[in-house]
Amino acid sequence: MTSITLGKFSLKNTCIHRLDPRLKVLGMLMFLVIIFLSYGVTRQNYLMYGFFFVILLILMIISRTSFLQVFKSLKALWFMMLLLLVINALTVKSGEVWFYIYQLDIHYEAILRWGYIVIRLILMIMTTTLLTSTTKPMELTFALEWLLTPLKYIKVPVHIIAMTLSLALRFIPTLAEEADRIMRAQASRGIDFREGKFKEKFKAVISLIIPLFVSSLLRSGELADALEARGYDPLGKRTKYRKHKWNYKTTLGLLIIAIFLTGIILLAVYQFDFIGMIMGLMK
Amino acid sequence: MLGKFTSVNYVYGKEGTALASSALSDINLTIDDHVFLALVGETGSGKSTLVQHLNGLLLPTSGTVQVSHYLLKTEKKKKYYIDLDKEQGKHPKRKQFKVKDLRKFAGLVFQFPEYQLFEETVLKDVMFGPLNFGMEEKKAEAIAKAALKLVGIGESYYSRSPFELSGGEKRRVAIAGIIALEPKVLVLDEPTAGLDPKGEKEMMELFDKIYQSGKSIILVSHNMDLVLKYAHEVCVMNKGKLLKVSSPLEIFQDEEFLSSTAIEPPLVFKTALELKKAGLDLNLDNIKDIPSLAEEIRKAKKND
Ligand SMILES: Nc1ncnc2c1ncn2[C@@H]1O[C@H](COP(=O)(O)OP(=O)(O)O)[C@@H](O)[C@H]1O
Ligand SMILES: [Mg+2]
Repeated sequence: MTSITLGKFSLKNTCIHRLDPRLKVLGMLMFLVIIFLSYGVTRQNYLMYGFFFVILLILMIISRTSFLQVFKSLKALWFMMLLLLVINALTVKSGEVWFYIYQLDIHYEAILRWGYIVIRLILMIMTTTLLTSTTKPMELTFALEWLLTPLKYIKVPVHIIAMTLSLALRFIPTLAEEADRIMRAQASRGIDFREGKFKEKFKAVISLIIPLFVSSLLRSGELADALEARGYDPLGKRTKYRKHKWNYKTTLGLLIIAIFLTGIILLAVYQFDFIGMIMGLMK
Repeated sequence: MLGKFTSVNYVYGKEGTALASSALSDINLTIDDHVFLALVGETGSGKSTLVQHLNGLLLPTSGTVQVSHYLLKTEKKKKYYIDLDKEQGKHPKRKQFKVKDLRKFAGLVFQFPEYQLFEETVLKDVMFGPLNFGMEEKKAEAIAKAALKLVGIGESYYSRSPFELSGGEKRRVAIAGIIALEPKVLVLDEPTAGLDPKGEKEMMELFDKIYQSGKSIILVSHNMDLVLKYAHEVCVMNKGKLLKVSSPLEIFQDEEFLSSTAIEPPLVFKTALELKKAGLDLNLDNIKDIPSLAEEIRKAKKND
């Protein structure tokens, strides 16, 4: 139970881990955008997705992120994927028929469209896994705060949001520990969290949730008092314990992201048939 | 024999990973029937970990724990709950016991048990345990009321929400929740920490009463006054190891041993020791608290 931490940050020290969190968040956003773009005809789309897959795979290898985590997240989604496959097979009726199951015609198109979804899902999970396993939660909030800075000018209390967020992140392990403790205490009173009928399961969950809620409410009240007692002013100007310097490397990284993104977006906008062109050249 | 730990090791977290930390190492302990046993040691020495083995919440990473006829062990990452009374059964499944039976046999009151209250009313919360163990509603209610009476919670509290009670009252209700299970062994993890002196005294008197009624008490405590007064046997733990098991009298007299630990004998006992050194003929066996010390001094004076 205590192994629940946000995104499972893994304690390694590779160049990806050391990268400025702002760059990493921007990079992730970029990947999330380009994963959902369309690059023209089907084969070209698949080629691009393959290309992204390779890039992400290389990044994962460099940062020594285990692929097992991606696989675990995917495993949790198997039912959804199956459902999507069935829905696609039943509803997509355009293009050539691939094969028949009894009377039911299955089209190439249905499988291809399902393939898109699955590949996008895999790429998405790879991207987020990469980010969360190489960036500490605190660095993530810092990056988010930085990204949201422009909102300050329209009077959005960005640093209050960031503070709330980092406090919430800070308390995830504490809550997990607390939940573990309460579960063991209720187990001593005859609750079985693993087995039992639905009604018993329900009772088990209630006996966990209510004390957990009560103690986290109490805890947050105490925390607020403690902050106030030490003169915390939510509107005051904050300084950082760990400073992230914006140096030339960061600029360089940002440039690479920008150029890459522009290139990919241009490809998507013009739907440039480069496979056709290469094939033409080869002839 | 009530219980037996044989070469018990316990490791938190997955073994072999960076998160693994050993909390118990090579614990060997035999617990007699009908004991009032105290478990002392610095925080983090593994007391809470040890007591959670007694009702099968934790299973030893290696070694075996036996409580009454229930045997707990882990082999090749598989957990075994073996009922020694059914040893004759050939099929391994038949030898298994339900862990619930052990939970009822050894009632465990956690450190800060007030955080486990959750029902709408005090009475319902105390009934929760008995109901979970399959008791009828009527009987559970009667038992719950009796348990509440024992811990000094009056009838006017029955229909109140447990969340609006004071810290001490919550603690009593939570303890009543375990007493209502009618366990053969009551295991208490720092039950009086944070209570006022009067509440502490009342609680300890209650535990002693339960002990007198034929049950066993295993108590984790930092309060040596209580250990001296109530316990018949003391286990001293340090850094996951069991340093010493003997009577309070022996431990508090063993200066060499005491100097190697952070245990401070009770003031009453130290006073008695000094008096004895100064020539007063005291029977240390009888000294439990201030009144008994006074009585001993009176006797010694008379004999002079
Ligand atoms: N749930 C847990 N996960 C990991 N380590 C733990 C857990 N509970 C206790 N520990 C560790 O095990 C050791 C013994 O703890 P504990 O049994 O609670 O000691 P005590 O009750 O004597 O204060 C400590 O070092 C503690 O940090
Ligand atoms: Mg403890």
